[in-house]
Amino acid sequence: MRRTPVFLLTGFLGAGKSTLLNRLLRDPAFAKTAIIINEFGEIALDHDLVRVADAPLSRTTTGCLCCTAGSDVRSTLHELHQAALGGGIDVERIVVETTGLADPAPLVNQLIPGGTPARSLGDHIVARHYALAGVVTLVDIVTGELSIENHFEAAKQIAFADRIVLTKTDLARDPATIKDIGDLRERLAMLNPTAPVSDAASPDFQPASLFAPRTYTPAGLGDDVLGWLTLDEAISSQGHGGRDERPADDENAFRRHGARIGSFSLTLDRPVDAASMSRFLDVLTASAGQRLLRVKGLVQVADDPGRPRLVHAVQHSVHPPTVLEEWPSDDRRTRLVFITDGLDTDAVRQLFAAALVDGTHSVQESFASLCRVFAKAWRSGKAALQRTPAR
Amino acid sequence: MNHFDNPLAPLSRKLPEKTRQLKAWVRALYNLDDRVVISVAELACRDVGCPDVETVIGIMRPAERVRTIRIHKSVEDIGFDDVRLSVMRGN
Repeated sequence: MRRTPVFLLTGFLGAGKSTLLNRLLRDPAFAKTAIIINEFGEIALDHDLVRVADAPLSRTTTGCLCCTAGSDVRSTLHELHQAALGGGIDVERIVVETTGLADPAPLVNQLIPGGTPARSLGDHIVARHYALAGVVTLVDIVTGELSIENHFEAAKQIAFADRIVLTKTDLARDPATIKDIGDLRERLAMLNPTAPVSDAASPDFQPASLFAPRTYTPAGLGDDVLGWLTLDEAISSQGHGGRDERPADDENAFRRHGARIGSFSLTLDRPVDAASMSRFLDVLTASAGQRLLRVKGLVQVADDPGRPRLVHAVQHSVHPPTVLEEWPSDDRRTRLVFITDGLDTDAVRQLFAAALVDGTHSVQESFASLCRVFAKAWRSGKAALQRTPAR
Repeated sequence: MNHFDNPLAPLSRKLPEKTRQLKAWVRALYNLDDRVVISVAELACRDVGCPDVETVIGIMRPAERVRTIRIHKSVEDIGFDDVRLSVMRGN
């Protein structure tokens, strides 16, 4: 029996996964592609930004698939399977867009023979009907190097890939940046010597080729990958992180990443001034930098409320807003979803309020406040670490 | 102003370099040859009173069960003595 190929589409926060997925779904050859979008955060936003209406079936899950209860990928695949059967829908492939923070090891373990044992009838059905066919990892040339240095997940996403795509290469115009891309390619080759690396901005780049059916074989990816898969299973069987013991709706399910990594959202019911939003993002990225892993959102601007602006900032970089011709859903509120690394949320809320809500504080005052709160949190966090004895 | 007082200071955990160093310490302390795979993962710690993150080191000898060492620190904060003490305690 032919098993339906499942592809993981991964890459650190802001690497361009949703952009690639949109490009893919516009291709008529992908009309029979089902989509699972996993989001890290309390408000799901990506499902509004990917044209899932072009897919015959889609599911959005919040909370990181690598952290939530053991068979979450498999249970979502089982739901899709049931829905496809019920609707008589022919699905040729499934693409799972992971969160940017996803650790691929538990996801791959759940989808390969000899990985995480089946725990339910649904898991057995998934194993019978679906096969992991590939892991496609996007690497943003602007933040890729820093992400590898600072986040285990970024390095693991690269190491587990059987296809790697460099993104935002169109931003590289000066010789120094072009050299940086060369250095990054060398870094990628060290982390993953086997996966072919393509350039998303190249004229001959074919996204469809990334999702051509094949067999995903972790054994060919080296000792690091096999070690991570084995260690992940050992940790699971020892009950660490409680993936076997915890209900799926446990709010502490985000525990693979530690409390330093957080997500929160800010919403506003009335239109905002586009320049004020731009100023807010500029000040925020300048002050928070790498601790702001990503902010992404839809903004209702005062002088053009029918056409939302898609705003996106990753670490130090604020991308130019994209004008959408219409709101993707009935929800027309301005909503920003933040994913942060050790950033004080109160300071961000104050800055947001000052720039966009009440005007009772100047942006400059809030910027100063942000820096003070930030420095204090950083000092106390470091002090706590230094005081903590090793066990 | 030192590095930790500056909210604008670049954040660099140097994880690949620290991980390589950690593996080398474990290999030396356990006298492991190249056939033994060592793997490092950082996880959130759920134990009350523990720091936020713990490091789990897996030692994979051929045809043996995985042995794990747990150190209740993030990778970049682990020193040689932390590994040595964990080995002595048999963590």
